[in-house]
Amino acid sequence: MIAATLYLLLALPPLVWAAAVFDRIGTGRGALLAGPLRNGAALLLRPVAPTEAPDRLNRLLAPGWYLALALVGLSVVPLAPGLVASDLSTGLVLWGACEALTVVVVFLHGWSPNAPFPLLGAYRYVAIALPAMLLSMFVLIGAALPAQSLSVGAVVEAQREVWNLVRQPLGLPLFMALGLALTLRGPFDYAGGAELAGGTSAEESGPALAAWRLARAAMLVAFSAMAATAFLGGYLGPVLPGPLWLLLKTLAVMAATVAAGRFFARMPPARMLTLLWVVLLPLSFANLALVGIEVLP
Amino acid sequence: MSLLASLARGAEIPVFAAIGAGGLAPVETLRRRPGLRLVDTPRHARVLLVAGEVDAAHATALERLHAQLARPRATVWWRAPRLFDRGEIADGDDPTGAIRRAAETDEPDQRPDLPPHPWEGIGPHGQGGMGMMGGTPYGRPMAMTAEDIRDGLALDAYRARFGPFLPMLPPGLALDLTLQGDVIVAAGVAAPPYPQGAESDAPGPCAARMLRLMGIGPRAARARGALAALPRGSGMRRRLAAWVDGARVDETPRPLPDALPGRDWTGAALWLASFAPSRLRAACLKPEAA
Repeated sequence: MIAATLYLLLALPPLVWAAAVFDRIGTGRGALLAGPLRNGAALLLRPVAPTEAPDRLNRLLAPGWYLALALVGLSVVPLAPGLVASDLSTGLVLWGACEALTVVVVFLHGWSPNAPFPLLGAYRYVAIALPAMLLSMFVLIGAALPAQSLSVGAVVEAQREVWNLVRQPLGLPLFMALGLALTLRGPFDYAGGAELAGGTSAEESGPALAAWRLARAAMLVAFSAMAATAFLGGYLGPVLPGPLWLLLKTLAVMAATVAAGRFFARMPPARMLTLLWVVLLPLSFANLALVGIEVLP
Repeated sequence: MSLLASLARGAEIPVFAAIGAGGLAPVETLRRRPGLRLVDTPRHARVLLVAGEVDAAHATALERLHAQLARPRATVWWRAPRLFDRGEIADGDDPTGAIRRAAETDEPDQRPDLPPHPWEGIGPHGQGGMGMMGGTPYGRPMAMTAEDIRDGLALDAYRARFGPFLPMLPPGLALDLTLQGDVIVAAGVAAPPYPQGAESDAPGPCAARMLRLMGIGPRAARARGALAALPRGSGMRRRLAAWVDGARVDETPRPLPDALPGRDWTGAALWLASFAPSRLRAACLKPEAA
């Protein structure tokens, strides 16, 4: 358990950096590898701008909570058979709790500066993220059904013969929608976005902004590792050692999530709300029903 | 610390562009310039770029914007006469050099660090008056519960001026809005958008501006998918489709005080962006002429 925690903490910084590099690819700015580090350093050297009558405690803590949720979520992902930081029989529930609390943390981030655009972003995010999190619950129950267990290790072992991606093809795309919402990205970036001048981050600057962006990238890593584990067989794979397979699959999901965030346009929130409740949630029910029929003896 | 500083030396300079008359198209050319990054909020910026002539009536707004940049900060006036005595002037096609030089300097506050209006709240935190709220602390009326026009969910109505340099609104447009949540319940035009060059009405830049509000880049293949993100049968979708196909859009919007109420913030920003800048300006000027 301690070994797994250490490996995760060692792997996280390079993966966060990889996430930042992915975000830079195709923006035509050059300096792919060094750019994120340089910009991060410049941000750390800028001051934190004060706002009028902020909620100081929550403003300070929101990025930390976000990062903590990413770390706790990541801790249930097994790196190899038996090598997992939090070896819970209910790992999927812990992950689900991290998802749900992300809504609260993003809200606090928008609430605490006491300014209109961050607050609009916060409320908008809650309205959209709530159904998105519901979606993920059904999708993850679908992933847990073949394993007949809520333990993430058992979910991986149940994919020895065939990955969940093949068994329940709707699962991963629906889970990716949640990933976009968790990591405040592209079509699900209702906390921020150009139309709100950065939304919940509009008043942030300096180290506080750097911390929020770091946490957001860490959440992308955590989500990608979870998606790779629940749908792509996690550490399972021929020839290469298990942790390396997990790493490769995590990077692949990360790249796909970043690409999806760039490809799909963000709808006006009312339209997205309709899409979530009327199309995506019923799709996740259908996914769950199909999985249920499959696992019938 | 010195390691951090040497790493930061190669960083992109975050620039907030306050766009004046004729500044829209030139700022667009900076978007992919290496070494610079245009940001959406002055809080993220190191340099304030005033691009194009800003109406003297907006000098105070510009000074307040200047104060929003955390120090060290600097100003560059690009094809713009100075409205206050700070910063550097850049006249050519490329302000990059001036921005780089400015990023080495610092400017003190332009305005005294005082509230813009006197304190008129009731109670030490403005919590007096009706129920928990009341008064107009620092010139901003406290949000009070009011009738809702959309779904009957009565929220606190919030009145404020938005603009003239908000990046999601046409440059120069200042709106007096009453918001409930993110729904606009009343709107007034405090200042019309600045005149922009004819190149700003071209389909390409218009589509790019609208797509940027939807979080994606301007490539045509993506834009086709983006149409589905807008409500079917809406004018916004029709106009974006025309722009993506390379056609000009010459529709004039309805007067803003009639058209904006009932839209949510995103819908309103997209709707405003779905008209050519010159047509939008005409619609804002018309009531004054009448």
